[in-house]
Amino acid sequence: MTATEVPAPGADREYKVGYLTRVEGEGSLVLQVRDGIVTEARLKIFEAPRYFERLVVGRTADEVIDIVARICGICPIAYQMTAVHAFEDLYGVEVLPAVRALRRLLYCGEYIQSHALHVFMLHAPDFLGYPSVIAMAGDHRPVVEQGLAIKKIGNQLISVLGGRPVHPVSVRMGGFSRVPWRRDLDGVRAELDRAVEMAQATVALVASWDPPALETNRMLVALRHPAEYPYNDGRIVSSDGLDLAPGAWGDAFEEHHVEGSNALHARTRDGRVYLLGPTARIALDADRLHPIAAEALAVTGLADEIRVNVHRSIVARAVELLGACAEARDLIDGYRAPAEPKVPFTPRAGVAAWSTEAPRGLLHHRYEVNEDGRVTAAQIVPPTSQNQGAIEADLVAFAPSVLDLPQAEATQRLEMLVRAYDPCISCATHFLDLRIVERGRRRTTA
Amino acid sequence: MVIDERMPYAPYPSPIGTAVAAPPTRIAASGGGGPWFLASANLGVLIDLLREDGRTVIGPTVVDGAITLAEIRAVDDLPAGIGDDQQPGKYHLVRHGDRRLFDYAVGPTSPKRWTFPPVVAINVGRRDGRAVTFETSSIDPPRLALLGVRACELAALGIQDRVFLGGPYTDEDYRERRRNALVIAVNCTSASSTCFCTSMGTGPEARGGYDLVLTELDEGFVVRAGSPEGADLVARLPVRGADAGQMLRAAEAVGKVAATMGDPLPTAGLHDRLLAQFDSPHWAQIAERCLSCANCTMVCPTCFCSSVTQRSDLDGGVSTSERVWDFCFTAGFAKVAGGSFRSRPRDRYRQWLTHKFATWVDQFGTFGCVGCGRCVTWCPVGIDIRAELLAIAPPLSARPEPARAKPVAATPGSYATARIVSVRPETDDVTTLTIGDVDSAFLAGEFGQFAMVAVPAFPPVPISISRFGRDTIDLTIRAAGPATAAIIGLGPRDEIGVRGPLGTSWPIERAMGHDVVIVTGGIGLAPLRPLLDGIIARRDRFETVRLFYGARTPADQLYREELRAWAARGDVDVQLTVDRGTPGWTGPVGVVTQLFDQATWEGQHALAFVCGPERMMEATVDTLESRGLSPDRIFVTLERHMECGIGLCGHCQTGGLFVCRDGPVFALSQLGGIFGREGM
Amino acid sequence: MSAVAARPRLRVGIVKMASCDGCQLTLLDLEDELLAIAERFEVVEFPEASSSRSAGPYDVLLVEGAVSTPEQAAEIVELRRKAKLLVSIGACASYGGIQALRNWSDHDAIRAAVYAHPEYVESLAAATPVSEHVKVDAELHGCPISPEQLREVLVSVAVGRRPQIREEAVCLECKRSGTVCVMVAEGMSCLGPVTQSGCGALCPTFRRGCFGCFGPREQANTASLARALKTGGCEDEEIARLFAGITGWSGPFRSIAAAYGGPPGVMPFAVPAGTEGGRDDRN
Repeated sequence: MTATEVPAPGADREYKVGYLTRVEGEGSLVLQVRDGIVTEARLKIFEAPRYFERLVVGRTADEVIDIVARICGICPIAYQMTAVHAFEDLYGVEVLPAVRALRRLLYCGEYIQSHALHVFMLHAPDFLGYPSVIAMAGDHRPVVEQGLAIKKIGNQLISVLGGRPVHPVSVRMGGFSRVPWRRDLDGVRAELDRAVEMAQATVALVASWDPPALETNRMLVALRHPAEYPYNDGRIVSSDGLDLAPGAWGDAFEEHHVEGSNALHARTRDGRVYLLGPTARIALDADRLHPIAAEALAVTGLADEIRVNVHRSIVARAVELLGACAEARDLIDGYRAPAEPKVPFTPRAGVAAWSTEAPRGLLHHRYEVNEDGRVTAAQIVPPTSQNQGAIEADLVAFAPSVLDLPQAEATQRLEMLVRAYDPCISCATHFLDLRIVERGRRRTTA
Repeated sequence: MVIDERMPYAPYPSPIGTAVAAPPTRIAASGGGGPWFLASANLGVLIDLLREDGRTVIGPTVVDGAITLAEIRAVDDLPAGIGDDQQPGKYHLVRHGDRRLFDYAVGPTSPKRWTFPPVVAINVGRRDGRAVTFETSSIDPPRLALLGVRACELAALGIQDRVFLGGPYTDEDYRERRRNALVIAVNCTSASSTCFCTSMGTGPEARGGYDLVLTELDEGFVVRAGSPEGADLVARLPVRGADAGQMLRAAEAVGKVAATMGDPLPTAGLHDRLLAQFDSPHWAQIAERCLSCANCTMVCPTCFCSSVTQRSDLDGGVSTSERVWDFCFTAGFAKVAGGSFRSRPRDRYRQWLTHKFATWVDQFGTFGCVGCGRCVTWCPVGIDIRAELLAIAPPLSARPEPARAKPVAATPGSYATARIVSVRPETDDVTTLTIGDVDSAFLAGEFGQFAMVAVPAFPPVPISISRFGRDTIDLTIRAAGPATAAIIGLGPRDEIGVRGPLGTSWPIERAMGHDVVIVTGGIGLAPLRPLLDGIIARRDRFETVRLFYGARTPADQLYREELRAWAARGDVDVQLTVDRGTPGWTGPVGVVTQLFDQATWEGQHALAFVCGPERMMEATVDTLESRGLSPDRIFVTLERHMECGIGLCGHCQTGGLFVCRDGPVFALSQLGGIFGREGM
Repeated sequence: MSAVAARPRLRVGIVKMASCDGCQLTLLDLEDELLAIAERFEVVEFPEASSSRSAGPYDVLLVEGAVSTPEQAAEIVELRRKAKLLVSIGACASYGGIQALRNWSDHDAIRAAVYAHPEYVESLAAATPVSEHVKVDAELHGCPISPEQLREVLVSVAVGRRPQIREEAVCLECKRSGTVCVMVAEGMSCLGPVTQSGCGALCPTFRRGCFGCFGPREQANTASLARALKTGGCEDEEIARLFAGITGWSGPFRSIAAAYGGPPGVMPFAVPAGTEGGRDDRN
């Protein structure tokens, strides 16, 4: 069968993308249809396992912060934040309010940078029909330049607080190794008005793009906070009424090995698939959005559609991008340097567990710690491995709508669906469960 | 301050002596003069005036745990009541609890940062087809006032003036920056332990090269002008004439600083001495510690080396060139297409030190070093160039062994008497006598020396001095025969005859900055105890200190309380073993070499001191050599039959050496094949 | 885009092995110059950002990530044949990176666990730098690499000059910027003196010690620095943990870390003696 031929109705077919592009990490896609029924929809992750949950064993909290950043080059801050909050929660550390504000500001920077990257450079080409942002720039240069400009402001914000946008260096137990200099904050503040304007334009732009049709009703999971749009802090809630402390992820969810993959998948304890990320956050936390972002969302009129058609996640991301720009601006305006950049702490033995909202969705860490403050075991659950079940279920739901298209176009549509999740595949391969077989007995480490 | 041929450089001594050049008379005649007095409360007026004149004031301020130089907007920016404590590789601030502003030594930055900035644009090059243009970057230096410049820094400015302006080719960027910087000096009223401007003849008193100089008193400043600009400035300040009392106190304050510094680095003949040591093995020893990190060169106010970098657009059509700080310790500094001329760290260190203290003189007529001590403080591993220079090229007047007290009663016939103060049994057959009423020569003795001890009717015996007290010495004696038994049998207030202190000593100075390994057995710990006392008294001058001590049984260990106390300090690794354990002994059992023959530490950076039965010393020396200690860094003390103790009776001769006079402490390299040889 | 220049654009590829993608992202982080670069170079292969693929040949191939599986080991050899210039970018490609810390652990134990489930992809005994498999024309260090240095490499390829990557300690960047030494003034442990510059002395500027993410500089005197850290009060295992970090698998850092006891969490043999595939317990 050639790429442009339309297959006969009812024929068996296979859609395969050997190497997914414009996603972070290495994965492949396989969809098998037999007798008109989808028999397999699999997102295969063949990114090499990197064993992070083993690499942190024996390390102190501050070292863990540096190590786990390296799980992801796009969202290192999410990993640093989740780790630092987990240990601070166990050690009973209260950071100063100004430090908490700086952490939110740092997370704003990550949202701005990560969402701008995805919206403009990874996802927009699908909507406008280009293989890459570089090709897209040929005909849509102003749009691309706007995306690059917003991303640059996000990076600048992160650099001002953490030194560099990838793997920032200043997040420490109890606060920061140094708070930002006033002149640097003023410099990025001067850019944020422009960023807000560009983000508002971005919401309108992406809302105007027609997505492929899809309607699913998935269980949605996100953090929820009494006052803020959730980044560092909040309780784990779901569309089904779940309500857990941020460290209690394991009470409702668990990880499984699934054949054919280097990554663990997550399900609820009663076996259900669920969805994280901008879609879930907009659905569950829209009333916490920054007023400017809430306004922009209302204008699009797409709040309900976002919830059921994951292709609309680009709008959700643009709204969150706008919210992050606006909140960053407010945070800088209200910032007063704390008396100390960080407070001291004393390690103790126990379990350090926490969840934060990475740009791609809820990220959970759990560390077992001994009385010297060294990690003895770790569990890191990235959002993408939690979304994998939803991705595959959506592929099954979506497949019927592309079966009548030429092979190449159908495959491209399926890949576009995967991209709508903004999967972060390198993160997903955090660990390969080591089942050590001892004379027939199975003992799982970590 | 205008730099032109009429204005000589800051006065600087010639390298031949430490004579100070007189201040240029032109300044005195130009109506500079003074001195005046400026009240503390009015220092802010000076700063305001300078800023009104359009100058950015650069002065000392606290940043990130150090007093560094940065823009000063008001007196409040200055480090009131704050000083510094500086050691090799260590710096921290101290609070004096007063309101004085300049009671600190120098920080990591120097005026060089403004006269010779880390990055300066040089030119923009363009290529358009065949044509190329190079547009020299315009020099537009800011108008500055450097506040708080010390005498050493003035000398450094003078040195860089010579480098950049005194030769056939000049650096106009430097000239413009110098021209635009007003210099307000401050005489030092405190010095840190790393300062040695007195040795280099550059301070602590500022003697020229400034527009204004201030000396701080509790209530204000004694002010002198050093140039027409300075005089103009004084005319606008609320000063009055300084009275005699103030002038005296100012001079005393500075004089006191000079006195506390002393002369840590005698420079007479240093140029020739240093160049004669190009092949010294000491360079390799320094290289074991030197990180080649270039920190010393960057904090140095005179180092002037740089590199030129290009930053171009994607086509190479437009390219900006910059001059950046770069120094001889970096890898690429001496690289050419075929390789590097100075690839080994020891070569780089040699280049730096010989340039600074020898070849600089040939190039520019003065030393390159002003004695500010920054390189000592800011070296992460605390290499002290004063110590290294003394080791590589010791002053000619210094003998290899430090000068020592003349022994008391140094003829075979005469004895001085001393009185036993206390007697302390250490083990079944070893006793320590503390004796007092000793001649002061004994108290000035050195670690490892011994005394000839006598009681009438018994042969005199050589006994190591096992402790030097304030007015007593300890002798630890084993009852090996009738003479020693007789001595041990004495009690407090009994008298005893002594001659000494005799013999060579453990070279503790050489061990500074190195690891120390002490291996001993049985009573061998006695002559090593003073060495341990000395090391512990200045613990920070040594790196790791390890003591390995073996005894026959636990009951045969000497100084058990001291062993516990040393171990409890935490900074001395005390490891004990016995040949035979007894109930209650939970430590190792075996020969003392077993304590370290499998250890992971290496001896390339260590000195070892060994004392014990000769066979134990032989085995120890073998093991130490296999751990990387070379014979010139292993020291042993030998015991032989001694009667006169002063090399006249011939009994203690071994090979060509008299153990009593050429030893008893020897470097293994001195002994050569004698050590361990049968029949010696 | 109307191309006036007659010369053909250089074909650039960007590929990854086992890594976090952060170094590739640095290219995308050259925001202001990205489009200019894309005009000067033809980015023919860049899966993270482009669905346009190419199997080569490449004038310049940037490789991120450590070689960690047999597939990658085969792939890098293949890629080398197709690339005129191969530049490894980042700590993972240059030194094995953070995942190379697993190399300290006994791989038989891990392998026995892996093969217990045959659907798992094989991993190699060690995560290794690209240079252990193929000849590398240039290396950019850092975790992540410095955007300035990446730009410099691309510009120098375009112009035809040697890339100006300074070979010096982080200390030079600290002192040039006027940052106060965290080690001397605040007693922090800092690997700056033995680490390659390139980051702008980020960590000391943010008042923490350097942890060596740009890797060891030439002739790094790690033994002396380790001794100084110990004299300053660090325990042996602290020193080992500091050197066994992001670039802990590099030669100089690996040997000094080993001398001080090695990193924590090293996996001992878990399969007891007598079990198939097992070995005597040596730990």
